[in-house]
Amino acid sequence: MAPGEKIKAKIKKNLPVRGPQAPTIKELMRWYCLNTNTHGCRRIVVSRGRLRRLLWILFTLTAVALIFWQCALLVASFYTVSVSIKVHFQKLDFPAVTICNINPYKYSVVRDLLADLEQETRVALKTLYGFPENTSRKRREAESWNSAWEGTRPKFLKLVPLMAFSQDETGEVRDFLTGRKRKFSGRIIHKASDAMDVHTSKEVVGFQLCSNDTSHCALYTFSSGVNAIQEWYKLHYMNIMAQVPLEKKINMSYSAEELLVTCLFDGVSCDARNFTLFHHPMYGNCYTFNNRENETILSTSMGGSEYGLQVILYINEEEYNPFLVSSSGAKVIVHRQDEYPFIEDVGTEIEPAMATSIGMHLTESFKLSEPYSQCTEDGSDVPISNIYSAAYSLQICLHSCFQTKMVEKCGCAQYNQPLPPAANYCNYQQHPNWMYCYYELHQAFVREELGCQAVCREACSFKEWTLTTSLAQWPSVVSEKWLLPILTWDQGQQIKKKLNKTDLAKLLIFYKDLNQRSIMESPANSIEMLLSNFGGQLGLWMSCSVVCVIEIIEVFFIDFFSIIARRQWQKAKEWWARRHAPPGPQGQDNPGLDIDDDPPTFTSALRLPPAPGTQVPGTPPPRYNTLRLERAFSSQLTDTQVPPES
Amino acid sequence: MAHTTSGSPTFHEAQQPLPRVREDRRRERLVELHTSFRELFTFFCTHATIHGAIRLVCSSQNRLKTASWGLLFVGALGALYWQFGLLLEQYWRYPVIMTVSVHSEQKLFPAVTLCDMNPHRPRSARHHLQVLDEFAQENIRSLYTFNFSENRDVLFADDRAPQPAFYLDRGIRLQRLGQPGGQNRVGFRLCNSTGGDCFYRAYSSAVTAAREWYRFHYVNILALMPSTREDSHQSHGGHFVFSCRFEGQDCQARHFQTFHHPTYGSCYTFNGVSAAQHPGISHGISLVLKAEQQDHLPLLSMEAGIKVMIHGHDHTPFLEHQGFSIRPGTETTIGIREDEVHRLGSPYGHCTKGVEGVDVQLLYNASYTLQACLVSCFQQLMVETCSCGYYLHPLPSGAEYCSYARHPAWGHCFYRLHRDLGTHRLPCSSRCPRPCRESSYKLSAGTSRWPSSKSADWILAVLDKRSHRSLSQSPSLRSNVAKVNIFYQELNYRTVDETPVYSVPQLLSAMGSLWSLWFGSSVLSVLELLELLLDAVALTLLLGCRWLHRAPGSQPGAATGASHAKPEANQLPTDCRDDTNRLGGPAGLISHGASQSSGGSLC
Repeated sequence: MAPGEKIKAKIKKNLPVRGPQAPTIKELMRWYCLNTNTHGCRRIVVSRGRLRRLLWILFTLTAVALIFWQCALLVASFYTVSVSIKVHFQKLDFPAVTICNINPYKYSVVRDLLADLEQETRVALKTLYGFPENTSRKRREAESWNSAWEGTRPKFLKLVPLMAFSQDETGEVRDFLTGRKRKFSGRIIHKASDAMDVHTSKEVVGFQLCSNDTSHCALYTFSSGVNAIQEWYKLHYMNIMAQVPLEKKINMSYSAEELLVTCLFDGVSCDARNFTLFHHPMYGNCYTFNNRENETILSTSMGGSEYGLQVILYINEEEYNPFLVSSSGAKVIVHRQDEYPFIEDVGTEIEPAMATSIGMHLTESFKLSEPYSQCTEDGSDVPISNIYSAAYSLQICLHSCFQTKMVEKCGCAQYNQPLPPAANYCNYQQHPNWMYCYYELHQAFVREELGCQAVCREACSFKEWTLTTSLAQWPSVVSEKWLLPILTWDQGQQIKKKLNKTDLAKLLIFYKDLNQRSIMESPANSIEMLLSNFGGQLGLWMSCSVVCVIEIIEVFFIDFFSIIARRQWQKAKEWWARRHAPPGPQGQDNPGLDIDDDPPTFTSALRLPPAPGTQVPGTPPPRYNTLRLERAFSSQLTDTQVPPES
Repeated sequence: MAHTTSGSPTFHEAQQPLPRVREDRRRERLVELHTSFRELFTFFCTHATIHGAIRLVCSSQNRLKTASWGLLFVGALGALYWQFGLLLEQYWRYPVIMTVSVHSEQKLFPAVTLCDMNPHRPRSARHHLQVLDEFAQENIRSLYTFNFSENRDVLFADDRAPQPAFYLDRGIRLQRLGQPGGQNRVGFRLCNSTGGDCFYRAYSSAVTAAREWYRFHYVNILALMPSTREDSHQSHGGHFVFSCRFEGQDCQARHFQTFHHPTYGSCYTFNGVSAAQHPGISHGISLVLKAEQQDHLPLLSMEAGIKVMIHGHDHTPFLEHQGFSIRPGTETTIGIREDEVHRLGSPYGHCTKGVEGVDVQLLYNASYTLQACLVSCFQQLMVETCSCGYYLHPLPSGAEYCSYARHPAWGHCFYRLHRDLGTHRLPCSSRCPRPCRESSYKLSAGTSRWPSSKSADWILAVLDKRSHRSLSQSPSLRSNVAKVNIFYQELNYRTVDETPVYSVPQLLSAMGSLWSLWFGSSVLSVLELLELLLDAVALTLLLGCRWLHRAPGSQPGAATGASHAKPEANQLPTDCRDDTNRLGGPAGLISHGASQSSGGSLC
């Protein structure tokens, strides 16, 4: 019989040694290593030579460590996403298009409300820049204002005075209203001394805002007078308009028939009825195309400028508010039907007397939410209540957050955004010093001190339309001759004047092609992939499997502890016995009496007399076997040892 | 362990003679060698963990069985290595996939460079340029019999009198080039230093020809001037930025860098913002600009407006390559959308993380961009081949700018080289790798009229007061000012990342799966095989050495007798030990240990 067979037979004989019955942990390990299917461990036991054994222990441990490391890497990269980009070619839904005139209200109508403000602005302009002296007409008007000035008390300039002050002597402020210098004791928000515009006059314009108790004041300075006047005007404008009810404001603004001179969609004529009204606080009446409730969303059958939306807008520069808006034209925003149009943030402008072609390209993005990323599906898990009647977006969340904080801190809502429940817009009848509060809060918001940026999360899916704008002169010199009279005649009811070229703007919005790009995230790893990778790692390093993992758990956790527990139990029992035995007739020199329950074992029989301190074997039968096992190897060793003696 | 390795002879001698005593665990040697191949083999067969191999080698009873197992073994091995080959081939190609991901972190506002497209005359070159203007007039008159007079001549009439003479190469002049096809072309002739090799720079339009021709002379004149790039815009009479607001606050002077570009005029770079920014117009930058149409060099700059370029921080703006123009009299709103590209670099591809590792010395004092590298490379080639540098690019150390006063034939050389660059015959494109991180800015713009007719009067008046210059005197008020708003359009930005298809853990997993599938072994099994091999080598050496030594003694069964192996190994002579000691690596280590322990007992 081959020696291998012999050893196999011996091992088989030794097999009855089972894990939990092994007397010591060392024996358990030995037994495990000899019988396990895991590579490496067996070698530790069967190798001869300490260096070999040590090396094998090292190898095995290294393999285990590598498995853990690589598996940790695999787990760490489990929550990655793979991105697929699909390009569909299909009939595309046309987005909602919101069009606003840059000027919110017809100046001739609002002028009654803003007359005082305009007058004071003119006075300020005259005092600071000597502006109306340029033309004789203006001078006359200015004089008439000046005369009117004598009678009434300035309201707005008193509330928030515009001031000019020189850069050299900070703290010295020339209040242009009274003309005298006075000491300014406040915080200057914008350090004017290192502003970039250093080449010209030393005077800087600004205004002062104070908190309720007027002890905290902030001076907002502007290196350019244009910005100073506009900001100052806007502040008062918002105050005045905040008190005007919405219906009145809608009536003051442009009607759909007025704004939209002609309309053509997908080659078919459309009119004002296809547009829905959307009132924006700063842009007045805006009209949204393709956003009608209870109606199907329009779609274009073809790409190209012929099949999109073509409108001619009536800009009417005559009715512009000179101080509120400095540019003329319209604003357009392309958005989803359920999305709020943030016209003030991302609108595209349209120039009068020009044809603006806007080509769109649609990209959809879908992200995976938890645990892959921090995005939110519908905003319901974001602790900010949506004050807009539109679908969640990050922008909406940020604005809602700010508005809520504004109501909290200042007691009233900012005019630009919708009203949260149970709040009203700020005006200085009720909240005299809201402006200081707003400015402070806005600074804090920009510096991310309000926590809005931390709370708000992005939406998981969004559509975006990439716009490509191109401009052309419109109408051309030749076509102008027939086009303008016809349009004037068409709009006879709405517009009671001869249309001018600069009063009109043409807008074309269309899909460049009907390709829709979808960027979709999908989990890069499935659980099967992870398991198969685990299997690969276990197999590569140790040829291990789930069964061997279970085996390891069984041996190392269950048996291991059962052996320890058993030994502890026996120790305790022994200690108990010794503690209670001394009074009785204790045969300490008689090992046969040591444990009555156990039958005399081979070991105990051999070890006569045992050392007093020796451990009493717990379960004798395994001891038998392990002894024999040892002999199996020692006999093998004796084989090699025999010849020298012979 | 150390004491055993050193192997005190007396200790071993004391131990060896004890015959029948069970070998104590403590007495186990560092490395014990099998006494015979047979024993070694048996041991291996008993304890090997490789699946097929055991059947093949260790069951020798049945030939058919052995043959079939051998076939299976070879087949499995072949399949395994074939699969390994496929896998590794794929891995070593280092494939990458581009993953697009959408992020919504706030981004740094990019740098914005604005130029007024209105280069002014350097004070020191004023006389030279005047001579050039006269020469240009003369040229155009001779071509078109059209007299364009410059009112500027009157302006500078006083400092016309005593100026040093300078060299203006009047040989290079605009010519009408008759073509056999009948198309009239206008151009100018450039020759090399000997005059033997000449070519025409020909243009179908005289407008471009005149501009190009003028620029060539202009560059020649400027190259002779002492470098006054930095201070020159001060003399120009001030800024063209009326107001600048960022995030609703005035821009600070430290946010701006100014420089003067020879062909793009005064330029400003707004670069100061280091904090993350929000999207929306109110959080962007808003500028009111003076777009004067009073050209200082009418032949050089023909456009009116502002050139705007949006680029990354610390990147050199190359206005001639990118950038777009702003029309006067409008408010232009530019939305930025940023895309980022991250490349993995070697071994997955070719890209560079910075200036290091690029064999082109960057002439710009800015971070690495492909364009900067290409320009630097071109300039260096220019210095090498034409022995002077092109004026519009920065100068490498130790070189001087080209001017026909110093290098008569540089124009010929330059245009040749430039054509080679255009047709990719220069090594620049291969010497300049792409940067590993790149941001590209996608812009979409909208315009509206600014200022509107209602607000124009007060706005222009206020601006007028600020600038102390009369804007409103020119016929069209609006055409002298422009407004620009630049803002981030989106909260979301995209990054395109290269990610490796195979990461190392995945590769190892795949290999492990294959290995387990075909062969059922592991890395540790390979180590077992290695151990077997080393043991066999050591044993061969041992036995061979002993056989050599004992050959005259003719000991029978020396190699095969398992029972005799041990004593003979123990009686190894010292020269054998030297033999085995010479083995390198771990084999040397093991056999060294083995021979020491066994040889030690002899001495």
